[in-house]
Amino acid sequence: MAISTATKAATDALAVNRAPVSVGAQEVHRWLQSFTWDFDKNRTKYSTKYKMANDTKEQFKLIAKEYARMESVKDERQFGSLQDVLTRVDAANRVHPKWNESMKVISNFLEVGEYNAIAATGMLWDSATAPEQKNGYLGQVMDEIRHTNQCGYINYYFAKQGQDAAGHNDARRTRAIGPLWKGMKRVFSDGFISGDAVECSINLQLVGEACFTNPLIVAVTEWASANGDEMTPTVFLSIETDELRHMANGYQTVVSIANDEAASKYLNTDLNNAFWTQQKYFTPVLGMMFEYGSHFKVEPWVKTWNRWVYEDWGGIWIGRLGKYGVESPASLRDAKKDAYWAHHDLFLLAYALWPTGFFRLTLPTAEEAEWYEANYPGWYDMYGKVYEEWRARGCEDPSSGFLPLQWFAENNHPIYIDRVSQVPFCPSYSKGASTLRVLEYNGKKHSFSDQWGERMWLSEPERYECQNIFEQYEGRELSEVIAEGHGLRSDGKTLISQPHTNKDGKLWTLDDIKKIGCVFADPLKAL
Amino acid sequence: MSIEVSGGRRGLTDPEIAATILAAIPDQPLETQRKMNYFVTPRGRRLNEYEVLCCYTQPTPDWIPGGLDWGDWTQKFHGGRPSWSNESTELHSTDWHKHRDPAFRWHALYVKDKAEEWRYTDRFLKAYSADGHVRSIDPVWRDEVLGDYLGAFGFSEYGLFNSHSSVVRDCLGDTLRMSSAMIGLDKVDNAQMIQAERTFLAKLVPGFDESTDVPKNEWTKGSIYKGARETVEEIWQGTYDWNEILFSGHMVYDPLFGQFVRREFFLRLSAYYGDNLTPFFINQMQLYHSQTKGITTDMFHTCLADDPEFGDYNKRLLRAWSDKWLPRTVNALKDFMGIFAKIPEIKGVTSKDAIEAALERVFDDWQRDYADPIGYKVDTSALIKTVLSGLK
Repeated sequence: MAISTATKAATDALAVNRAPVSVGAQEVHRWLQSFTWDFDKNRTKYSTKYKMANDTKEQFKLIAKEYARMESVKDERQFGSLQDVLTRVDAANRVHPKWNESMKVISNFLEVGEYNAIAATGMLWDSATAPEQKNGYLGQVMDEIRHTNQCGYINYYFAKQGQDAAGHNDARRTRAIGPLWKGMKRVFSDGFISGDAVECSINLQLVGEACFTNPLIVAVTEWASANGDEMTPTVFLSIETDELRHMANGYQTVVSIANDEAASKYLNTDLNNAFWTQQKYFTPVLGMMFEYGSHFKVEPWVKTWNRWVYEDWGGIWIGRLGKYGVESPASLRDAKKDAYWAHHDLFLLAYALWPTGFFRLTLPTAEEAEWYEANYPGWYDMYGKVYEEWRARGCEDPSSGFLPLQWFAENNHPIYIDRVSQVPFCPSYSKGASTLRVLEYNGKKHSFSDQWGERMWLSEPERYECQNIFEQYEGRELSEVIAEGHGLRSDGKTLISQPHTNKDGKLWTLDDIKKIGCVFADPLKAL
Repeated sequence: MSIEVSGGRRGLTDPEIAATILAAIPDQPLETQRKMNYFVTPRGRRLNEYEVLCCYTQPTPDWIPGGLDWGDWTQKFHGGRPSWSNESTELHSTDWHKHRDPAFRWHALYVKDKAEEWRYTDRFLKAYSADGHVRSIDPVWRDEVLGDYLGAFGFSEYGLFNSHSSVVRDCLGDTLRMSSAMIGLDKVDNAQMIQAERTFLAKLVPGFDESTDVPKNEWTKGSIYKGARETVEEIWQGTYDWNEILFSGHMVYDPLFGQFVRREFFLRLSAYYGDNLTPFFINQMQLYHSQTKGITTDMFHTCLADDPEFGDYNKRLLRAWSDKWLPRTVNALKDFMGIFAKIPEIKGVTSKDAIEAALERVFDDWQRDYADPIGYKVDTSALIKTVLSGLK
């Protein structure tokens, strides 16, 4: 066989230099953009009114194996910390009980967001035409699996090692009972995966990740650490290292549509809707989890919100996108009002509905009441005195026969659910911006708490048909609902949820609830 | 002490805060059931970590079989299409959460394996280059087969990779979704490994063209991959049922066409042409194929074909899908036979008898592992005869 010129050249080259040679990730990645080809049916299965550019690049230029190497290194550090030193110092039993309860919710609900983001970025991977842009979304698909597993690991760890496993050990089954669940699904599940693919990207990457993961994943670590929890910072800060890639993906999504005519028509409306969708839930829920779910406070939620949401995101991040025609959402000013009071309004309702949770809630102590009043003047007159009344009536004691939900009925303060956000609100006892609006459509009444959600519904009512917990449970007795939703501990009678975290306090059982005879009613039927 | 703490004080290490926390903690744990996901039916004797971390992460309502949630979707597509729905696939299940990756790989285990493979690849390539192995590769094999036709095969892998995007969006279970993303990533990894090999050769062999231009031209306009390209395009973008995408790609096309091209062409022949570089990469692809086979046979055979209520119906549909995708795959193989006219013949290796034997191995494996479990009757001799008619 004749030796080719190339073989001779290779042989000659070896004679001069035998230094080991390999191939780097970037040397492979630079060919990625040419991996696709044109064919008739090559179009996305998920329609979008925007057109993504064919030549969009990604910022994190990874190939599959290099991605795995990076993530594996991070995993080694993270799981090493959890399984070694944190276990040896019995860290899970050195967390304040209030925070132990908060992590039942925070970790599990974040898990839902991460899980749905797998599907969301699968849709974006399908929608993008540029291989590099697809690759960026693919990296995020894998990250979201990682984060899903990581969030699960928090609950797994707390269940195995901690002081109260109930709720950590079965959150995926019991979370659906209570009033926070459907709203969480709107922002963290359906909002990411159901709609125009770019609209979903805006919800997930431009708002969810670029805006709310900062308080949810970063700020939360300060609160956790202050309350003795070093597991959450170990895991969540590792998650956050991937979020940078996701924010870059969101940025590139906007870049890819920047020259499309549809962007000038629709982008700011989609962004405004996405921001309102996300903030409507996260602003009150995060504030509530931080302030009411902790003993030691880091700073008032309104300050955290202003720094991360208003200044960093609304100002700097959106400002960077200004050259592509992106403007700060019009609803940002209304959200700013919510940042002050909405979480206080929500805790009042969440506590009133405590038996439907999968966690224990705690009434503010006297020193906490002082802290709230100092940071939110007017807090006591609106909320503090109500909590005092509830406590005086024995709301923490199973023998009292008193559920705070009764207080709302006695005082004619009906609780409604906003059809679009699925967030509960009490228009007659609220300091936040919520106002009751009721519309009828196809023979069914729908309540709304703000103009932004109402506008979304008026444009496309068929997208927001989900029944709320009061419609679902109407006519059913509370203990039945709890039992059906598996809201009991392993003894089969004690509730997972409790209205206190007092270590000497008595725990409520299903029988205690049954004796009260609380039956769900749909407030819209009374209108 | 004040309840507002500043300066990064940590409850675990700050004595004052720690004392407050410890005083509030119950003397005994409040719950004895410490196993997360204790309500999940394990695949093995005990619930494993994979099942703890992955099962029921999807919030599916109970009207999608296996779901634990209730009610409607809180936001739907424009026009009212639901987020996820039973109508997204023609197959039926009593429990879309039943699937398990037989290797029980959650994310950390998956990336750990791949990271090791990457590190080992780097070490191997350095040793290979320093040892001067590249001198032994037959030039026609190197420049035409590896340069052009292996490069073109990368597009098959890349197309199959992209077919997973809508599966990852639409499928109805959490373990299904995670497995689909992983086997999808393996496919793009294959495409990237092919390019890595070509880039590596370009570093060692002056004049070797690492560009994707010629391979892409071969893939899009050449005759050897014509049937393959048309099949991959149909799997990727012409098919909407997420189960059919997985089935056509991983239960028909890849176990036949992919296995022949990887195992019986590049892997088997490379040694005869002095190429011990390609087997290093193809063997990684074969590992992924093996892992994928475990996953997809669990999905389609263990879960769907053996479903207690819908097993018979599902098997009928899987046979119908086999009827649809087998002829395309056979045609793809027939077109691929043209490649043997491009390489120097080695008697008993690239001659017709050897090719036929290779096809028999592939079709026999497919019949045993893929067709028989769903009761699909197939005349492999006739199929092989059709494929061989493509020899020039």
